[in-house]
Amino acid sequence: MAIGSAGRWFLLPGLVFLFAIDLIPLVYSAWISLYNWWLIRPRDIRFVGLANYLRLGHDPEFIRAVVVTTLFTSGAVVVEFLIGLGLALLFAQPFRFLRRLRVLILLPLFVVPVVGATMWRVIFHPEVGVLNYYLNALGLGRPPWLSDPTLALVSITLVDAWRTIPFMFLVIYAGLEVLPGELFEAAAVDGASGWQSFRYITVPLLTYIMLLAVLIRAMDAFREFDIIFVLTGGGPGTATQTVQILNYRAFGLGHMGEANAIGLVTLGLVALMCWALMRLILRPRPAGG
Amino acid sequence: MRPSRLRTVLTALAMLPVLAWTLFPIYWITTASFKTELALYARPPQWLFTPILDNYTRVLTNIPFMQYLKNSLVIAIGTTLGSLVLGTLAGYGFARFRFRFSEAVRFLVLVMRMAPRMVLVVPYYLMMQRLGLLDTYTGLVLAYVSFALPFSIWLLIGFFVDVPIDVEEAALIDGCSPLGVLVRIVIPIAAPGLVVAAIFAFLVSWNEFLFALILSGVEAKTLPVVIAGLNTDVGPLYGEMSAAAVMVMLPNIVMTVALQRYLVKGLTLGAVKG
Repeated sequence: MAIGSAGRWFLLPGLVFLFAIDLIPLVYSAWISLYNWWLIRPRDIRFVGLANYLRLGHDPEFIRAVVVTTLFTSGAVVVEFLIGLGLALLFAQPFRFLRRLRVLILLPLFVVPVVGATMWRVIFHPEVGVLNYYLNALGLGRPPWLSDPTLALVSITLVDAWRTIPFMFLVIYAGLEVLPGELFEAAAVDGASGWQSFRYITVPLLTYIMLLAVLIRAMDAFREFDIIFVLTGGGPGTATQTVQILNYRAFGLGHMGEANAIGLVTLGLVALMCWALMRLILRPRPAGG
Repeated sequence: MRPSRLRTVLTALAMLPVLAWTLFPIYWITTASFKTELALYARPPQWLFTPILDNYTRVLTNIPFMQYLKNSLVIAIGTTLGSLVLGTLAGYGFARFRFRFSEAVRFLVLVMRMAPRMVLVVPYYLMMQRLGLLDTYTGLVLAYVSFALPFSIWLLIGFFVDVPIDVEEAALIDGCSPLGVLVRIVIPIAAPGLVVAAIFAFLVSWNEFLFALILSGVEAKTLPVVIAGLNTDVGPLYGEMSAAAVMVMLPNIVMTVALQRYLVKGLTLGAVKG
């Protein structure tokens, strides 16, 4: 490039800032996680080595939280991906009215997450909620959306899907937009059916983008906090207590060592998940992908 | 190719449940904010009613809503300015200069965005406590700039790369400094990119809940924390909560509708171009 070595002076402020705000806390966190540190006993801070981590290994509450998080993440990502893909295909059709409606589909993604969860809390309310009124009128009873252990997990997944289907939609839709149209015309001339051109043109060419969208969403779902906090707070009992909610509770109780250990283990789990998905993404792509 | 009439009708029919699912919650809480106590709990639910403003006046008088609004605004504007300045410099650095590891560093910037925020908030809380920055605007702005910055950098790289390099080179030959080129030539051309980056940074701060919940007490409390607080009691505060929620999401809706073209470009840039 033409402009020589002045580049580093442009980069330096931003990189130093990110380093200070992101990496220093991480290192500090690793250090704290080796201590037994309870905020209400500031004089009794003891070095305990890896004890905080070892305890997590056979803490049934932590293991349960990992299971709940995995269920929530995989359920949410599968639902969001399938509906997002369907919507993208629907919107890729050449109708002018669809372009005008697009922004309406995107709105949930931009609404404040806490506000979005609040809307659903009102709708889900077992007694005065609008959903149960009509379900009851149809003879389906009044399901306790947020207070039944299984149903609560389904409900938070649905609300997460409501908020982030637009993201899946948008990324896949953008990918569809840049596909070369001639390919589909050639296939149509050769007599390919709609399903065939989807299966043999769209899917191979979009694999990379679809996996990328899944990866980003999986990481975000794994660390979801706002929606779960507002809708159930982890309850009933520990039915929707994800790792993030458990971590928040450990912090709230003042157990700094344990809270930091949970945080770093979560980071490790997210990294592991990324690594697995990245391997899928970076596999040799079919020609033209 | 003209789509058949049947396909048009089928598509339009398929849109109905999609739009209902997407828009109903927003519609319902908005109408709820204009209902009387009686209408809120009416059975069957009321779809037609006489709108009133009582819920809004009550929120504005019963809780220091204006104070929280000011907190949210000041923090969001601080975040926007901070991430624009740092993001413009770094984005330009990445777009126009090649150096060892530049690809790796660029990728690292993106990876940093992906750490669960809960991991960062606990040590960050303890650090801010030491620095005396708990419950201050500064403490939250610093954290939010770090959330918004990676995205701003990536977004702006995309816009800066598209600026014709001949113009920049001509200015350099005429004796303009690299920073002068950025300010006088590149920024005016890439202005739409800066607008998108600004909106995103604003929304990152405006929407953020976890850090605000943990780091702010009374002084720097932001609106999402207020909403979540009203939420603990769906019963008596239902109307007021709806009114507060509508006021908090209004800027988001307005920005989304007004800038939809840019937002679509901004959100998909990394995925499609990169």
